[in-house]
Parts: sequence; structure tokens; C-alpha cells
Amino acid sequence: MSDTKYLETHEWYIVDGESFTVGISDFAQGELGDIVFVTLPEVGQEFSKGDAIVEVEATKTVADAYAPMDCVITEVNSNLETEPELINNDPVGDGWMVKAEIKEMDDSGMTYQQYESFIS
Amino acid sequence: MSELKTTSLYEFHLSKNSKMIDFSGWSMPFSYDGTLKEHNYVRNSAGYFDVSHMGRLRLDYSQIDEINYLICSDLKNINNTKALYSIFTTETGSALDDVIFWKFEDELILICNASNTLKIKNHLDSFSINYDDLTQHTDLIAVQGKDAISVIKDIMRIPNKFSTLKESVFTYARTGYTGEDGVEIMLEHKNTIDLIDQLESRGVKPCGLGSRDTLRLEASLPLYGFELSDDITPVEAGLKWTLSNPDDYLGKNVIDEQLKTKEHKYLKRFKLNAKQIARTGTVCNSGSVSGVVTSGNISPILGYPIGFALFETNPSHNLVEFDIRGNLVEGNLLEKRFLS
Repeated sequence: MSDTKYLETHEWYIVDGESFTVGISDFAQGELGDIVFVTLPEVGQEFSKGDAIVEVEATKTVADAYAPMDCVITEVNSNLETEPELINNDPVGDGWMVKAEIKEMDDSGMTYQQYESFIS
Repeated sequence: MSELKTTSLYEFHLSKNSKMIDFSGWSMPFSYDGTLKEHNYVRNSAGYFDVSHMGRLRLDYSQIDEINYLICSDLKNINNTKALYSIFTTETGSALDDVIFWKFEDELILICNASNTLKIKNHLDSFSINYDDLTQHTDLIAVQGKDAISVIKDIMRIPNKFSTLKESVFTYARTGYTGEDGVEIMLEHKNTIDLIDQLESRGVKPCGLGSRDTLRLEASLPLYGFELSDDITPVEAGLKWTLSNPDDYLGKNVIDEQLKTKEHKYLKRFKLNAKQIARTGTVCNSGSVSGVVTSGNISPILGYPIGFALFETNPSHNLVEFDIRGNLVEGNLLEKRFLS
């Protein structure tokens, strides 16, 4: 499993062989405030890099999480349907959003150190 | 950009790790523990809000006739110990601001929205009404919640609902804007931290403007700049109950005409059976009647999205369709308040 990488749009992802897991960063959840609804994609849906894959409704605003690379959804975190606050409480752990099979590898995300300086 | 104004509790808010936001030129706490938690403190126990950004003007009782001419409610004939929610109207009957008056024997305290303080001061000037601006010299702390009164009674005497009192260092009224019981207390800076300490020692939690907004929306209360504006009359905003002024007042002819013809915009409450929030500016329609969402958010107590929408005319049925970021989402208009 590779290191956690971050996108400028505030997603994190971890590549594991032919697939990856994606969610939003701790910084992003803090900016959104309390997350109250999450709309997840269907397993089998295909996305290109940069497509909106998850819609996150928070008390303060609404935001999308974007695909870090071309992919097909293989699993969604259905716990988020009933416990969207998992994203606030543990964004890079239990608050993961989807797992997907990589169609075209693009591991160009920032390291945590790079992301930290990006957001500061 | 000019520097943001701060309340005397600014350093205190930072020490509580509050997220600060720019609100009408003031740096104000948005949340401390999270909007939903703070919402529930107020609904289930008690919370306090620093609302010192709101304008506070002391008016001369002797000018009550002149003041009464500028608002749609009857300030003149209520008792000297009462608090009154009212609306400053324009010549065209629209809302210049929605405000609270605290009526005392010798003076009137006018509390207006932070965004409208200057506008109200200019308005009073143009009608030769004198005022002392107390905003910078005092603080305003709202203590709200199911248990607010039982906590406050250890600290000060409890006025009747919608009544005012002055006691010790406190000038206050049993009012608020959350749908819960409570008091709003004006006091000098030097006494504020002591009050906060007394509240905190009794378990009252700090709450920010984020939860103040979800609380007022869930309580079906309008917010100036959203449900009320200088383009919306009290009749259109569904605030006919504020029209208690028996005398002539600014814009009365337009308001009376709207009451008679019923030809005006209509503000309606709605709920969605969806996981999307219809936010401010979302376009909607009920049949052939078009509207726009003025405020929308989740109701933390009900668990579904709610809001207000302003329609061009009165919708004839209660189904409504929202265009939320390109998706059509159905909802229902509600005759009753969100929380019964």
C-alpha cells in the first residue's frame, strides 16, 4: 500500500495495487462544518479524473469529492448513509467514501507535507 | 478592506478555539464545538451567544410618537415593561430592518441587525429622532434553551415572557431568536466575563452564529437579508401578526393595499424528502408559480432539509420542485411551523 496522497481539491487517496480508497481531508471536513448528508455513487459507475463522485451536504455549504484518477467504483462506505458524521470524526479512517478500480494510474497527488504547506 | 470590528469577548472566543467568521463587518464566532452540537445544547439544555455585534440604540421615551410612525407595530400602547418585535418599514411598505424594542419607563432600547445599524441610525437622523449608540460600550449576551430560565434564575430575576427588567448591572428581556425560552442581556464590558463564568459554571455552553442560524430557521423565524429585505414587506414575509400599529405609519398604505388585494409575494415554509439542501438562491416552482429559496438547511431535530422560499404569487398547491445544482428535487410547502 502506498502513502496517503492529497489533491488540491482536498481529497485524500491511498493506492493499493490496482485500486484506491478516497475520502476528504481533515482540513476539508473542518471547513465544511457538520456533514449531514452524503450522496454516494453506485458500484460499477465509471468516472474520469476530476469528475464529482460524492456529494457532501454540510450545515455550512455543499461540496463534491472528485475522482483522483479514471476509475470504476467497487465499494462504497454505506455507513455514511446513516452516520455522515464519520467524515467529521475520522475523515482519513472510518470516514472513507469509496473504493475504486484504477482504469488509468495517476499517482500525482501531494504528500502530506506538500498538502500541509498547500493549505497553510 | 477595512478592519473587522470585534466584540469585547474576541480574545475569549479565540481561547475557546472558536471558528471565527466575517459577519457584517464583525469578526464573530461561527462555532465552538460544531453547529449541530451547539444546536442541541439549546434544544436540550442551554447555550449562550455573544450577539454584541447587533446594534443597540437608546432612544428618548419622549419621542415615542415619532418612533411609532416608523414601525408597523404598536410600541406606544404596550406596557412600559414590555419587549416588542417589530419592523421598520419604508415608504413602499418593505422592511428596512426587523428589530426588538425594550420599553422602559424612562427610555427605549432598540436592538437592530448588525448589517443595518448604520441604515437605522441614518433613518432615525432623517426623522430627527435622537439616539445614543450603545453598541461599542456594551455587550449583548443571549442565553437560550430548554433549561435557560432555570439557570438564569440563580443569577438574576426572571421577567415575564416578552418583558424587560433592569437589575444590578443587567438590562435585559425575556426574548431570543432560537425558538426556546431565555433572556437577552445587555451589560457593560467590565461585567461580561463574570456573567460568562457564572453561565459556564452552571453548564451553559458557548454557541456560535452557525447554530443561531439553524435554530432560528428551525423555529420558523425570518432573518433580515434573506426572508426580509427592502424589497419584501411584512405581509409578504408572513408577518401579518406584527401589524399592530393602529395609527398611520410609513408605508401603511401599501401594506393595507396588499392585505386587501392579496396580490403580493408569498413567503412559504418547505421541506424536502431528499438528501439535498435547497440553499439560498435555489430556484423553485409550485405549478406555474415561480419562487426562490431565501434560506435552507437541515433541521437537526427533524432530520430532513427545510427552508423558506419566496413565491411571486400565492401557490395553489403544496407540491414544489427545486432545481438543486441541475437536479430536480421535489418538496412540500408547509402551512404549519417546522416544529410544533
